[in-house]
Amino acid sequence: MRFLYIAVVIFAVYFLFPLYVLLLIAFSPAKFTIESLYPPLIFKEFTLNNLVYAFTQYDFLHPFIKSLSVATLVGALALLLGIPAGYGLSRLPGSVAYPLIVLLLVTNMVPGMVVAIPISAEFIRLHLFDSVLGLALVQELITLPLATFIMQGTFSAIPREIEYQAKIDGASTLSYFKDVLVPTALPGIIAAFLISWMFSWDEFTYAVILSPIHPTLPVEIYVNITRGNELAAVAFSLVFTVPVVILTLLLQKYLKGEYLTGGVKA
Amino acid sequence: MNSNLRYLLFVIPAIVYVGAFAFYPSFDAVYLSFLNNRGQFTLDNYKELFYFNIYGTIYDTVIVTVGALLIQLLLGLGIASVLTREFAGKRAFSTLTIIPMGVATIVAAIAFSFIFQTAGGYANSLLHLLHLPSVNWYSNTYISLLVVMVSDSWKNTPIVTLILLSGMASIPKDLYYAAALDGAGPVRRFFYVTLPNLKKFIAIALIIRGVSEFNIFALPLVLIGYHPPLLTTLAYELYSTTTVNLSSAAAVILLAFISVLILLNIKLGGGERR
Repeated sequence: MRFLYIAVVIFAVYFLFPLYVLLLIAFSPAKFTIESLYPPLIFKEFTLNNLVYAFTQYDFLHPFIKSLSVATLVGALALLLGIPAGYGLSRLPGSVAYPLIVLLLVTNMVPGMVVAIPISAEFIRLHLFDSVLGLALVQELITLPLATFIMQGTFSAIPREIEYQAKIDGASTLSYFKDVLVPTALPGIIAAFLISWMFSWDEFTYAVILSPIHPTLPVEIYVNITRGNELAAVAFSLVFTVPVVILTLLLQKYLKGEYLTGGVKA
Repeated sequence: MNSNLRYLLFVIPAIVYVGAFAFYPSFDAVYLSFLNNRGQFTLDNYKELFYFNIYGTIYDTVIVTVGALLIQLLLGLGIASVLTREFAGKRAFSTLTIIPMGVATIVAAIAFSFIFQTAGGYANSLLHLLHLPSVNWYSNTYISLLVVMVSDSWKNTPIVTLILLSGMASIPKDLYYAAALDGAGPVRRFFYVTLPNLKKFIAIALIIRGVSEFNIFALPLVLIGYHPPLLTTLAYELYSTTTVNLSSAAAVILLAFISVLILLNIKLGGGERR
């Protein structure tokens, strides 16, 4: 039992240390952090000046709005495409559904670089370069398969008998969707939206290539670090990270190995 | 059959989308990589990649992939083993092990760039505290790559842990009781019961993570820049400084390696699902 607790403590320190370093830099005077040769590992002095300085001297608002709009659009698109796809997959026989699932899995593995470089040329032609819609459409690639699998799992748990029952009662397909299926599947739908939102919020590769002029927050943080505005980068990083960590913890239930392996056990 | 067709219609929009935004650009990248500035067929883009030390870049990418996978697998096995036991504070610990999933790659990269700074870094602070000499983290290729591996493993171990946990949950408890009755201690139970039954899950974790490892981009960009370049950072550098065609050629090399992993994954998953 003692070994177990030693392991727990070591792993806990390992997982917390990088975040602790960010907090140290954000809330200590610079002379104890980035200006020191051997920065102390504990708080020597507490200050809010770094945060005030970062948020007044550097543009946080515009990247923040851009990130927010792109992520929300990605979440909406994930539902628009993922709910029907997940429903269809949950009702199709395995022999038809399986190749489609593999197709979606393969999509998830196509390298971002391979997609982004040719698409940037197309987007310039289509006036989608640097736009919210363009970036959201491409980021959807990362989240659509996951959203679809979550929806497929959710719908599989709803017995078909309900569907037959609704038909007998004279419900049209649309009203069956609207009044029966969607409300029953609501927790899965919310999870699919939030997980998609979260992936877009964190996404970097597509954002830096397809939206470099009006960047999203991750790209803005990168730009700040390359320009040597370290305090701004750290301050933005913290504000940027808080909502996602909260979401991750709330969604723990849905971030299961089964979904991550693409329904190997399904 | 008729109703199957109806269900298929629900899936079509997603398939069309995927075709337009994943598969069309992939073919486009291959096509562009064989064109010169005037739109004529050429092999020059691939020849030119040799000036940018493409073999060395591939080699370094493979090293990072293999190294990071090893670290993540070891940590993942350790953490998953801890999480299959019951102890006070287990819930808090399990929450803790998932946190890096919620931290954006770019934020992880920045945190680790402060840890692994040669002057004024927190890793060297720690070494100084223990009266050990400071390390120049960027003095040679291998240390630089190690910094990337360690940082990446922090961010991605939780995914491996989750996959291994779902694998461990699928091992029948009876096997452990039987092994314990036969006098096997925790260590032998791990090697003779847990590991053999986890084989498939380990393989899946390795392939899923292997694909992402090959695509690792934000971390090396922040931590080591273009020295040494990896396949992604090389493609990005070429994209920002040269032509779409040349950078497409670099991206196609990346695609070739990923394709092998994708095929492996399909082969491994085939027949097991459903």
